[in-house]
Amino acid sequence: MNAAAVAVEDLRAALEVVVGQVHVRRPDPRRGEPAGTAWLVQPGSASEVAEIVALAARAGATIIPVGSGARAPAREAAAAARPRLYVDSRRMCHVLHLDETSLVVHVQAGLTALALERILVPRGITLGDFPPSTLGSTIGGLLAVRTPGKTSTRHGTIDDAVLGLSAVLADGRTVHTRVAPRRASGPDLARALLGSEGRLGFITAAVLRIHRRAEARFLAAFVLPSLDDALAAVRLALREEAAPAALRVFDGADARAQLGEGICGEEQAALVVATAGPTDLAACDRDLMASAATAMGGTALDDAVAERWWRRRTGQERAPQLPAPALQVTAPPGREAAIARAVRAAVEKLEARSRVHVSRFDADGAVEFFTFVEPGGEAIAGERTGAVRGAAAQAAEKAGAVLLGSSAPGLEPYEAELKRLLDPHGVFDPEVD
Amino acid sequence: MPPVALDPDRLRRELVPIVGERRLSMRASDLASYGRDMWPRMLIGLAAGRLPSELPHAVVWPESDREVAAVVRAARALGAPIIPYGGGSGVCGGTVPVLGGITIDLKRMAEIRSVDRDSLVCDVEAGINGERFERELNRRGTTLGHFPSSIYCSTVGGWLACRAAGQMSTKYGKIEDRVAGLTVVTGRGDIVHTDGPARALRGPDWTQLVVGSEGTLGVITSARLRVSPVPALRILRGFELENVAHGVEAIRRVMQRGLRPAVVRLYDEVDTFINHVPLFGKRRTGGGASEESQDEREPLARAPAPEAGSGALPEIPPREDRGAPAEGMLGRALSLLSPGAAPARRLAGRLRAGAVNAVLSRPRLVNGLAGPLAEKVSRRGCRLIIGIEGSRIRTEVEARLVMGELERAGASDLGEEPGRHWLEHRYDVSYKMSPVFRSGLFVDTMEVAATWERLMDLYRSVRQAIAEHAVVMAHLSHAYPEGCSIYFTFFAPLVDAERTYDTIWQAGMAAASRVGGTISHHHGVGLLKGPAMQGEHREAMAILRALKATFDPDGIMNPGKLGLPAMLGRRS
Repeated sequence: MNAAAVAVEDLRAALEVVVGQVHVRRPDPRRGEPAGTAWLVQPGSASEVAEIVALAARAGATIIPVGSGARAPAREAAAAARPRLYVDSRRMCHVLHLDETSLVVHVQAGLTALALERILVPRGITLGDFPPSTLGSTIGGLLAVRTPGKTSTRHGTIDDAVLGLSAVLADGRTVHTRVAPRRASGPDLARALLGSEGRLGFITAAVLRIHRRAEARFLAAFVLPSLDDALAAVRLALREEAAPAALRVFDGADARAQLGEGICGEEQAALVVATAGPTDLAACDRDLMASAATAMGGTALDDAVAERWWRRRTGQERAPQLPAPALQVTAPPGREAAIARAVRAAVEKLEARSRVHVSRFDADGAVEFFTFVEPGGEAIAGERTGAVRGAAAQAAEKAGAVLLGSSAPGLEPYEAELKRLLDPHGVFDPEVD
Repeated sequence: MPPVALDPDRLRRELVPIVGERRLSMRASDLASYGRDMWPRMLIGLAAGRLPSELPHAVVWPESDREVAAVVRAARALGAPIIPYGGGSGVCGGTVPVLGGITIDLKRMAEIRSVDRDSLVCDVEAGINGERFERELNRRGTTLGHFPSSIYCSTVGGWLACRAAGQMSTKYGKIEDRVAGLTVVTGRGDIVHTDGPARALRGPDWTQLVVGSEGTLGVITSARLRVSPVPALRILRGFELENVAHGVEAIRRVMQRGLRPAVVRLYDEVDTFINHVPLFGKRRTGGGASEESQDEREPLARAPAPEAGSGALPEIPPREDRGAPAEGMLGRALSLLSPGAAPARRLAGRLRAGAVNAVLSRPRLVNGLAGPLAEKVSRRGCRLIIGIEGSRIRTEVEARLVMGELERAGASDLGEEPGRHWLEHRYDVSYKMSPVFRSGLFVDTMEVAATWERLMDLYRSVRQAIAEHAVVMAHLSHAYPEGCSIYFTFFAPLVDAERTYDTIWQAGMAAASRVGGTISHHHGVGLLKGPAMQGEHREAMAILRALKATFDPDGIMNPGKLGLPAMLGRRS
């Protein structure tokens, strides 16, 4: 701590000077908010964030970003000796510039994706084909935490939408990465902050690529003889350059749970697809998917199946209450079915059942979402949850999968060193929460 | 900057056990070859008879990740800089050994480890020659879709190191869009893999932090790349638009409709005039009557064969006669000045040296005349080449949509010939430097990019900045839904050339930054754009410096590049 150190008791007063009295408060343990030395602070601008960060550095406090509350402070952190500042970005919720010529929007990090969509959609523009389940998050939260749910086959990941980023670093300086469609001026520096979960900097604003709303959208669903056949159909269509807006493969059990009983048999699989774009091209993509499914022995399901899936995916229809996927892994290309079989065998040894759906197909693999249930179909509860998930995770890894949320193997020391250099005093330390 | 002091005997003692006697060279001729790349500023010096003064102390040709790692560890112990080297075709001085050190030529690491046609992914070592790689992929029914004009003399590692783009990037993406993972020997001497499902992992996307690092963080030794099926159908057509602004608008509409032509090349009025007016095209004038140089008739004859051994650069021939301007690019450029004369290039051929230099030393006059005259003489505005390729059915549908969009934007169809002509000559530009230098001129290119909203500002301001000092033309050739790159080509006399050169770059970079463009779209930074990096990234340079210190705590990796200091850091 330096000479200008701020006493803990003065911290609140100092915060109030920065953001105003009404935007600083103590967490309320009765509302599940953490006890201990902590404040909830709501800055209204990037410069206020910078002042809060500088203040935290002087007071030896840590900063924990809070977005939409999806990761709201809830746990006790009695062990954390340092004062904690939960910095809620939701007052920073403005569109700074909407460039409809370039299809680029400059937004503050506290705006939720849903609120942004509400501004864009009446103008015939959209953030992209991202699942609506992700839209409740703030832009900052979406960018800071990487999950595969934030991807679209047509529009890539939310990371790919970032043309420029503003963030406050631990030393209080604000950085803005250069906005350009592509660059060759060194590494893409924004990538150091994307997915960093608030450990390297506090994201305050982003410049995002947006899209014109699709002229047409087509939906289709197919049943295939096996999971291998369904995955082969996907690869075949992608090799023919089909570019679907959304694409998902279900094993028999997951198809019946998610799309309706009687859709297909236990050993069969289902493939659902949405294509979008200029009408002729979207129709072409739909036909390519249909040809690939047929080539692999598939038959088309009733249109209502695909339409129901789409309505649920886009939040237009309430989905049935199902246990959420308990394990998400990335499978190397071509290994998806083998991993699914390995997980199934491991789970069955514990007398449980697994079902899976696969999406986000790319050169670096597809993502598999496993759900585990009791043989009777009810959710697994209690101690069995951890045991089943653990066995499944182990089997998946052995079969070549990478568990979501892993660190890049061999690069942990580099991440730690980068953190040490950018934040030597640990101002950004969400781990304490 | 003086080179680091390295004892040659000790260097040899350390390196021989790693790579053996035969894959280490400290011969003067080899060191001289590796003292430069194709940075035109160095070629200006060479044309004046000045050899590169900054040479490596040694060159090694490792054959495995482990050998590269051992060389890096030895270099750490010795306090020797490391300069990774691919094809040496860079145009920004990215491989210039400013402090000397050990140049690691990766061309012996050129194996294609696997090509998975099912999953469309390929594992390849970084030193493979670009053209050979593409040929091998084609044999396996796939393509990388990456066609830089330097494809005959550049490597996969070089592309990744500088975030390169190919001529069909509008469909296939730049190299950073094609990479799924890397193997990197870091400046600490570790072998790390950034491949695997980066999107499933926590923390920074290491692949995208190493791509574009130009050897300042580590040596890229292999890569996992996305490949595509060899296109079953390719449709190429030429169009004409009234002016650059109309062309820009047409491309924007195509891209924002979700269409992805592979080739998008819009030439400004001057570039259109120089390169496409039938009067001056080879195909129309007939080979026998052509006064173009040998290099231009057979551009690929000068390309180093893909298998060519040690990777020495193509020779820059000494200027034969500074006073006698040759034909070719200069002749064509001069023809702008005499549009009324029957075959203008013949008139250009008769111009005397003094007149040539007098004219070219007044670029403002030339640039001022060029645009309107070009337009007037050719009675046309800007040429646009569009190519759509891919799987048969989808390509046919997409082509119809693209053509329709262009028609609505006011483009008039010129048929297939302009596209075919472009395809046949698409790599020529990398081999035109020699004849230009022989003509008593220097030539360079500046590739900048911006979002559509700022693009015409970028075009006007950079063009104006260069036009004060050189004859300039431009084309737009890498389009995205949100913007486009602009590729300026400029040439000026080899008189006081280094000063002119520096002035042009300083003014051009400042102009690009001022209107919110990026200083580089695909050539990289090297030494050339180092001074502009602060303006490009401002406070975000702190992140680059932290990355540098993380990967290369001793500062041995390619010092002085990317605007980082030309000095070693902590010594081991």
